[in-house]
Amino acid sequence: MFNLPTTNIGGQELFVLEFGDIVAYFSPYTTALFVFALIFTALAIVSRPEKQMDIAFGGDAYYAKVVDPELMRFQRFMAIACGLATLGAMVTGDVFNFTLFASLVGITNIGIVAAYRNRHVLNAAFQYGIVAMLATVPLFGGAAIVVASTGTLSMWELFTGAVAVPLIAKAFLVLGVMGEGMAPFYVAKAEITRAQGAPFILMVHVSSLLLFLRVAEIVISM
Amino acid sequence: MKTNRSIITRMSATISKVENLTGLYALLVVVVIVLGLVTLPSITYYDDQLYEKTLNPASTLHPYDRGGVPFGTTPVKSQYPENSPYAGYVTTYLTPFSQWLADTTHHMGTTIVAHPGGIIDEILYNTRGFDTVVETSILFVAFGIASYLFRRET
Amino acid sequence: MDAATYSIGLVVVAIGLIVGFAAIIREKDDLHRILLTDLAEVLALVVIALVATDLAEALILPGLVVGISELMAVSEVYIAKEGLKAPEGPPFHIEVMDSAPGILALILVAYGIVLSGFTGGAVAAVGAVFYFMCRGHAEQFELIETVSGYAWAIWIAAFFVFMFLPAYWFFGVMMAGGAILIKVMAKMSLVGTMRRGGPNV
Repeated sequence: MFNLPTTNIGGQELFVLEFGDIVAYFSPYTTALFVFALIFTALAIVSRPEKQMDIAFGGDAYYAKVVDPELMRFQRFMAIACGLATLGAMVTGDVFNFTLFASLVGITNIGIVAAYRNRHVLNAAFQYGIVAMLATVPLFGGAAIVVASTGTLSMWELFTGAVAVPLIAKAFLVLGVMGEGMAPFYVAKAEITRAQGAPFILMVHVSSLLLFLRVAEIVISM
Repeated sequence: MKTNRSIITRMSATISKVENLTGLYALLVVVVIVLGLVTLPSITYYDDQLYEKTLNPASTLHPYDRGGVPFGTTPVKSQYPENSPYAGYVTTYLTPFSQWLADTTHHMGTTIVAHPGGIIDEILYNTRGFDTVVETSILFVAFGIASYLFRRET
Repeated sequence: MDAATYSIGLVVVAIGLIVGFAAIIREKDDLHRILLTDLAEVLALVVIALVATDLAEALILPGLVVGISELMAVSEVYIAKEGLKAPEGPPFHIEVMDSAPGILALILVAYGIVLSGFTGGAVAAVGAVFYFMCRGHAEQFELIETVSGYAWAIWIAAFFVFMFLPAYWFFGVMMAGGAILIKVMAKMSLVGTMRRGGPNV
């Protein structure tokens, strides 16, 4: 019954997880992304926050910035949640489910950066939060146009050649992932990465990169 | 200095401001929609939809009556029926209180989403249960952020 | 639902989206941006609603919840960013607030439990919020959060019952219905008591 129809990008499926209407699949492509996300989630679990140093110019004096353990615990929680959301988005086989996972990635990214007290970082996090909220409009809009024009949300059906997905739906999906992953807006990322807490900040970049690779597969295949 | 700035310099200066990020993204969306308006007539509605809505105004469960007998199999047009062998059971199930409401009044249909059972619960919990799991996780994370920020202030 | 109606609806929504996003381009004030964003999200729900099947109805619910929860998180970031504090003043107080809370809250919570599900959670939460508002709340956020965490876990368990033990679907429905009641109630009480004006507001 379940045969991944396209072989040109993902290859044959290796393993299938059936959750009712939503059938997650592991093809060589998605498995590679999944393993990558898994490694970084494991890194987020075991790693310690970086300790930043401020050096006073014109002397030997330097002082270390204090790492707030409460903040670190919260960020670690958000980073792990972000990793799990990325894992889900990599293997899900349903368009609407994918958009939900993308939203989850977006909101956990807000959580990672919103924990800082620095007003400059908070401002960047806020602007990014607005973009992530706006991005749900094209994401859900794209999924809704897909279901209205093809009658299905399952990637197993959409990837077959018989089903034509409107161009605007694909554009909406890409646009939505751009907003959630904040990928082209590196200006905001630069502001955010000034904050301390390197291993958890890294998760923001990894998740948006992986989301992009995944949405490229979806858009090309359908 | 101001006079001989090239257009690229000015563009990158605008883009590099975090405050302009939202406007930039909104502009991008507007451009895509305007381009998409041209292709809109080519989008046709697919008639054979999943989980079709059938209306029976005479029923006490009016907008949500999908027929079938409680604790029996009811046909539900799901994507992969073989993955949900018990689909249809939740659709027809009503709690005793809701059953009593449906028997005595004509307004059960308007409140059915407030009671366990019915077609919406069938989709939300059973056939597309994974969606609901992700949705609650989003809610969980969002409240985690909000309550963390709130408690830190006080 | 026929194809012509759908096309007309789609054109109307597209125009609405253009207007909404054009407003966001022009708006420079952060607070107004949050409000406009919330308005624009409604249009996404309209696009889903245009599908007009039971599936669309089931998809609107996650869409709505995602919008609300992101709004919640972003506005809290906004408050932290601006460093806003609630104005200090004499707490609002009238006589009925001494006598009514117990009985009214009890009625609302009981009725919410009878309704169960999402709406039931909201009704029960109104009762709880009213009680806290009148009596003042001790800081019991940890307790409420723990309870809602358990509700989340029960929900996940209900999902696995549906997927792997479908014969026990009845327990699945009851677990999910009960968990959503607890969860919505806990979340709404949390929102209702999240004020910055001291213990008696």
